[in-house]
Amino acid sequence: MSSIEPFNRLVKLVARAFYDDITTKGDNQPKSGRSDNRGIAVVVLDALTRRQWVREEDLAKDLKLHSKQLRRTLRFLEEEKLVARDHRKETAKGAKIYSAAVAATADGQPFAKEGEEKIKLHTHSYCSLDYAQIYDVVRYRIHRMRKKLKDELECKNTVQEYICPNCQRRYNALDALRLVSLEDDSFHCENCNGELVAESDKLAAQEGGDGDDNARRRRREKLKDLLQKLEVHLKPLMEQINRVKDLDVPEFGTLQAWEARASAAGRAANGDSSSNDPNKSSQGYGGTPMPFLGDTKVEVAFSGAEGKQVDVKSETDSTPQKVLPPWMIKQGMNLTKEQRGEVKQESKMDGSSATGGLSDDKKSTVEDDKTSLQDEYIRAYYAALLKKQQELDEAAKNQQESSNTPISDGLSGASSNRQVGMKSKREEVEGDDDVDWEEAPVAGTTSESFKVHDLNVEAEASAEDEDDIDWEEGFLELQSRVILGGGLLFAMGLTGCVLLLQTRHE
Amino acid sequence: MFFHIVLERNMQLHPRHFGRNLREHIISKLMKDVEGTCSGRHGFVVAITSVENIGKGLIRDGTGFVTFPVKYQCVVFRPFKGEILEAVVSMVNKMGFFAEAGPVQIFVSNHLIPDDMEFQSGDMPNYTTSDGSVKIQKDSEVRLKIIGTRVDATEIDKNISQSRPKWDPAGSHPSRFFCIGTIKDDFLGVINDPTTI
Ligand SMILES: [Zn+2]
Repeated sequence: MSSIEPFNRLVKLVARAFYDDITTKGDNQPKSGRSDNRGIAVVVLDALTRRQWVREEDLAKDLKLHSKQLRRTLRFLEEEKLVARDHRKETAKGAKIYSAAVAATADGQPFAKEGEEKIKLHTHSYCSLDYAQIYDVVRYRIHRMRKKLKDELECKNTVQEYICPNCQRRYNALDALRLVSLEDDSFHCENCNGELVAESDKLAAQEGGDGDDNARRRRREKLKDLLQKLEVHLKPLMEQINRVKDLDVPEFGTLQAWEARASAAGRAANGDSSSNDPNKSSQGYGGTPMPFLGDTKVEVAFSGAEGKQVDVKSETDSTPQKVLPPWMIKQGMNLTKEQRGEVKQESKMDGSSATGGLSDDKKSTVEDDKTSLQDEYIRAYYAALLKKQQELDEAAKNQQESSNTPISDGLSGASSNRQVGMKSKREEVEGDDDVDWEEAPVAGTTSESFKVHDLNVEAEASAEDEDDIDWEEGFLELQSRVILGGGLLFAMGLTGCVLLLQTRHE
Repeated sequence: MFFHIVLERNMQLHPRHFGRNLREHIISKLMKDVEGTCSGRHGFVVAITSVENIGKGLIRDGTGFVTFPVKYQCVVFRPFKGEILEAVVSMVNKMGFFAEAGPVQIFVSNHLIPDDMEFQSGDMPNYTTSDGSVKIQKDSEVRLKIIGTRVDATEIDKNISQSRPKWDPAGSHPSRFFCIGTIKDDFLGVINDPTTI
């Protein structure tokens, strides 16, 4: 809440400039001297500059006004867009929250704990100044005043109005077609056929002018005079508006937000955290639908050590779900059509490895030194993985430093993880219980699987037995990592593995 | 302001036209129905320039009439507030003068006529400057600025315009634009005096 003082001064000036002689009496009531309440708007506005949100009863008490009278004035000021109001049904407890907030804003006194609690609901009204709106409304008002006078003065772009002196019916220039008559060259009333008088001559007519050229001139003079007076009288107001122009407008927010903020501040000041939490007691309002939930805070931690991350990952992604999703199969390796599509059926019988994509092509008889090969592969794989992770972490760190938007990162990470889970689950179902590998190769050795064939052999060899679990884990690791870091790195890593395998095989 | 736009209309055609010249019939009926009409949204349809597409006809229950959805391009004219127009003065009186720009009628009230022009009644009522150099009377051409428009759903006042069959709404499209204008600004006013020709 920045400098509120200039705005309060603005409000006071506005009150005196425009609302000085406002009475809030109904038109039917006689305006006797005693009931004349002119100036009440000024009093109320001034009082509001010394308050924030205030219960209208309290305000009435402070101003020693009848609450009805005050309410009428406030309703008027609300219509004038100067005052924001809020009404709500509340229990005694709800009222206490407000009292607490007031106490917090006033002098930081600890507020009374709510003891008794009545279920009875009362409608209470609150009001406060709406500074931002006041600023706009006043500027607009002054603009309109000026424009009207200037237009009138220059007779520019004003739609001429006509009035029937007999029946007071009004017309404007857009009705001209209906008003002309053939008999003479003036406009005639549709009702009574009386001759219409141009309305802007009225000002002059008040002066007793004869409605001729003379009157026109006099009217111009009067308008000019008016405009000049306006400029003089509004000068202090305009100056204040200009002064306020670049300042931050004080905002109280809605009643509830304000209350929450105020009592939170009060709590902080008093170190009293136990009592009167607006969140907890918000149901106590009875009528208020939206409790204040506080600011949303999202924290995303980037773990620096890759080893730690690996651990986390392998924990969260439980082993049975770790399967290659189909899009992954396509990327680095040249698999056959069967491996992508028809595998779905075949791999049902393919059991030992859950990675459906890599588990086929098992026609190979290379079962001998597979353990050593496996080890080799895994080692190479992890080397590649490590490198990638380092890169990734570096990138992440850079990103974190350069752009401080951890929220989006966190979100994308979360969603991608979910995605992985989903996909792999589906694959898992397909690739779960397998039967024999002998069948896959028959389909697999079609035209499309050329040189990669060898590779596949190794891959599946390595993927056998229980070791494949590690392998899969690694792969899933890689995959989720890649989703986080982008497909490019993944592609690099995979080709790395593939190359490594190829050379090794040769 | 003029616009070249595409409009759509459902044309109802009597069965007697169903033959080789169906298309021609539809188009000529479209021209007859649409040209010269006015809507508040698009303004006056000045002319149809081409027919883009005639959709499949739909036979109406009970009658033998068939409805064809027709898409056509046309030139429309719509007056806007703030627009500068050139218009011909049609009538002058002490309240101001009326002028016409094609189908649009404009009224310029006397307080939007420059202060140095005075109304002269008589056989040929007019507004004239004190030195007599500029005169606005019937058939003068003026450049004016529109400061207000109204779409009138009513028939035009017969007092003003007896001789306007082309633009006269043929019953079904009675809406019509009426504008008020000013000549009290730079470069506005008489652009051609009929008496000097
Ligand atoms: Zn009348």
